[in-house]
Amino acid sequence: MDERTTLRQKALWWIAGAAVLIYALFPVAWIVSLSFKSAADLGNRQFLPADAVLDNYEMILVGDAQTLFLSALRNSIGIAVIATFLAVLLSTFCAYAIARLEFPGKKVILTTALAVAIFPVISIVTPLFNLWRHIGLYDTWPGVIIPYLSLTLPISIWTLSAFFRQIPWELEQAAQVDGATTWQAFRRVIVPLATPGVFTTAIISFFIAWNDFVYGISLTSTEAARPVPAALAFFTGASQFEDPAGAIAAAAVIVTIPVVVLVLLFQRRIVSGLTQGAVKG
Amino acid sequence: MGQKGVAAGMAVAVITAVAACGADAEAPTLTWYINPDDGGQAEIAERCTQEADGQYRIETSLLPREASAQREQLARRLAANDSSIDLMSLDPPFIPEFAEAGFLAQIPSDVAGVVTEDVVQSAIDGATWKDELVAAPFWANTQILWYRKSVAEEAGLDPQQEPVTWDEIIDAAREHDAYIGVQGIRAEALTVWINALVESAGGQIITDTEVPVEDVELGLDSPAGRAAAEVVGTIGREGLGGPGLPNQDEPGAMMQFRGDRGSFMVNWPFVWAATIDAVEEGTLDEAVLDDIGWTMYPAMEPGEQPRPPYGGINIGIGAFTEHEDAALDAVQCIVAPENQAFYFVNDGNPAAHTAAYDDPEVREVFPMADVIRESLEVAAPRPQTPYYNEVSTGIQNTWHPPAAVRPDQSPETATNLILDVLRGERLL
Amino acid sequence: MSITETSRPGTAGSAPAPRRMSERARAERRLGWWLAAPAFVVMLLVTAYPIAQAVYESLFKYRLTDPDAREFTWLTNYWVILTDGVWWRAVGVTVLITAITVAVEAVLGFALALVMHRALRVLRPLLRTAILIPYAIITVVSAFAWLYAFDINTGFATSWLSWVPGITEDTNVFGSFGSAVAVIILSEIWKTTPFISLLLLAGLAQIPNDLLEAAKVDGATWWQRLYKVTIPNMKAAIMVALLFRTLDAFRIFDNVFIMTQGAQGTEVVSFLAYRQTISRLEIGLGSAVSVLLFLSVVLISVAYIKLFRINLASARGEA
Repeated sequence: MDERTTLRQKALWWIAGAAVLIYALFPVAWIVSLSFKSAADLGNRQFLPADAVLDNYEMILVGDAQTLFLSALRNSIGIAVIATFLAVLLSTFCAYAIARLEFPGKKVILTTALAVAIFPVISIVTPLFNLWRHIGLYDTWPGVIIPYLSLTLPISIWTLSAFFRQIPWELEQAAQVDGATTWQAFRRVIVPLATPGVFTTAIISFFIAWNDFVYGISLTSTEAARPVPAALAFFTGASQFEDPAGAIAAAAVIVTIPVVVLVLLFQRRIVSGLTQGAVKG
Repeated sequence: MGQKGVAAGMAVAVITAVAACGADAEAPTLTWYINPDDGGQAEIAERCTQEADGQYRIETSLLPREASAQREQLARRLAANDSSIDLMSLDPPFIPEFAEAGFLAQIPSDVAGVVTEDVVQSAIDGATWKDELVAAPFWANTQILWYRKSVAEEAGLDPQQEPVTWDEIIDAAREHDAYIGVQGIRAEALTVWINALVESAGGQIITDTEVPVEDVELGLDSPAGRAAAEVVGTIGREGLGGPGLPNQDEPGAMMQFRGDRGSFMVNWPFVWAATIDAVEEGTLDEAVLDDIGWTMYPAMEPGEQPRPPYGGINIGIGAFTEHEDAALDAVQCIVAPENQAFYFVNDGNPAAHTAAYDDPEVREVFPMADVIRESLEVAAPRPQTPYYNEVSTGIQNTWHPPAAVRPDQSPETATNLILDVLRGERLL
Repeated sequence: MSITETSRPGTAGSAPAPRRMSERARAERRLGWWLAAPAFVVMLLVTAYPIAQAVYESLFKYRLTDPDAREFTWLTNYWVILTDGVWWRAVGVTVLITAITVAVEAVLGFALALVMHRALRVLRPLLRTAILIPYAIITVVSAFAWLYAFDINTGFATSWLSWVPGITEDTNVFGSFGSAVAVIILSEIWKTTPFISLLLLAGLAQIPNDLLEAAKVDGATWWQRLYKVTIPNMKAAIMVALLFRTLDAFRIFDNVFIMTQGAQGTEVVSFLAYRQTISRLEIGLGSAVSVLLFLSVVLISVAYIKLFRINLASARGEA
């Protein structure tokens, strides 16, 4: 329909586009603005800081809150990356089997994944907490990574099996006919086709693991494993009784940077991953 | 990693393991779980490590901001028999629960004698459960009445000379269209306020604290409880606590107090240190600082003794620690009078030890040191019961928002809720 | 969570299974199980086991700080919860938040999808990128952003909105139920509408253009085309998106935790469960709340599937 757009329509689209941009970015702009406010500015109730300062970043990166924040950041990155990696690894096998092989029980697996995806996290936190206490996983990385799999595995299995179903597996046989071994055929033909799907799944899994709060606050209690969202409740202002808004805002901005970068680099992939086959046919 | 790499890695691992073992045998590392502050506890940990001269090392680990969240973190770990908790900074109301559950190591009487010598009575009471000292008093907090001299003068009050009552404060705020600084947020701060009001009116939230849970009796539904509800409800309904009252905490009250409509405020002494800082940073006019006066917590009736809130931090030793002797030594070092004085000056949190109040530096920074000490002598602790969390949360749920508090209903509702919850018949 | 994929069943290059299982088919079956098993087992371990444990513990009176007094009490915990106004109020608030959130998101998400679908080509990547940011941002961060925007000490929002009747700069948004819930809902909507709109966008893209063109030739207005052609053709996508958002909204926790901690009557079911087990350390009672929450979610799923006749399998093209 592009060819028929009039100038008026064009203007309208730009306005609609601008509205969407404001919708999406305004709260982010606010938290960024807040993070640059000085302690005196925090209470001025203006959108913009009177005087942009780096105090809050200093506090969490080199100041009093340094150990708290940096260890939480390390935990968040480590835990989210490992949980993502494990989820993608397990779900790649699983999705390959579902898409490629004939075996009874596929439906059970997909339904289980569905059930796990809608599971209320809070319902399993207490039993996990008790179990972890007994076997020593409480407040450790594995103690957080394992439950994260309940968040990342279902979606990975579904997204990946959708991706894999679209791969023209005949090509593999064609390559074999041309004299390649099974392994060569798989590596040269299938791997390049499958990689984008795996990669996209990894990004989406990472977002989910990065986002978690309930497990983070319930299954950790020290800097040994506490991720950033949980650590935000530990920040204080310049002194223990002052408003922690500035420090929290600065930490919030820092943990938002990775997701923004991923979105900027891979927006097309993420969209296709999220909607993969959602409503085809 | 090639073969060599692996070998080198293993060698390093072995060496570190050996080193760790060696260090462990000589100097156990104690982990001290601290509440967030201005760095005073970390500094004291450092000092005591120095002083121990290789006997032990203290490392700090941070707890959350909210007192109730601190309790959650510690209780969950201790319930798991966690041996990594050597020392912990405990908010006094939660000490009975921890002691009753066997989470606190015993303090031998000789050590108990050392750490309670010349300590204000309320702090000793706060660290005691069933007649035994179960934690070492570290710092003792109390609220005093802060006022804007200009407003008090206009209202014809002279709090310096003549103790004021809640009624007088309410009248003054009403007349001068000013805000009273109180803590109306649904959190521990609200219980602190309510408990002080009930105690000041001659009542007690729990009448007998050491009885089994089924026999607990509450004293809220009493003349004292109703008088307290009258004060809270009036301030809430008439908007005298300012528009933000239902979520106003201690710093919020302080900010409001410093503003144009500040008049009277009950709050902890950190207010003074924070306000001086604000003036030094240039974010607050010095005239405001000069306008601030202080005196004892308000009374409920003229001529009656107020019972201000008692708070602070006591140091407990984890029951499952592997280094009990070192922990006992460390506790004595942490609560040494000079460290308490340092903490007073550095973090603005008053000492439990009376000697700190004669420290010249303390007196210079806190001209109200005598008022604080006097307040601590009469301060009333919050109910000491292993079920404090239920009692406090029950009060917070029924006496909030302040505007909805009614003398003829709220005390009764709170009593019924708390008793039902304690009997396991209701959710909280 | 795109659970709704639709590829054809086992189209994979393998030959149709013969009646009698050949050696090859058996090997394939074994391989399939071996490959799928780890993921399957992990999923069961981290959910089925804990929920079974929760069911068991919900039958006890058990407080973590008083383990000696642990006592088997049959279904007492459930009785206590279900006869308590606190539970029903939390359910009510949760349902309210869920209903408003999902209704607004459905409309807003559809509008966003339409804009993205038909916007000028130059705008599309930009819009898609922008819309992904709320989706990808941490919920807790979103909660803090909205909290501080409306907070009476730090927020600018009330003074910006002071032209609205009933709002002044000094309105304490988190001081009363209505406004506090409104901001909680706002944060929730902001963060999760992009997910719905992306699913709907995918649905829009599937509608054959000639259908729309034909309707246009027949003189249908824009609204008629929307109601008669577009929406009916993407009903499956809409329903699946709504189901997932409903279940997601019903489990709301982070926003309430950060913004009000349940004050002003804003307690939701997840938060109630959290407070019983984690704050009060009442493992038995809390487990019972957790089990009830789990049953609620199951109930909602069943209701959706029965009421709207969503066949998830058919949505995947597998039925």
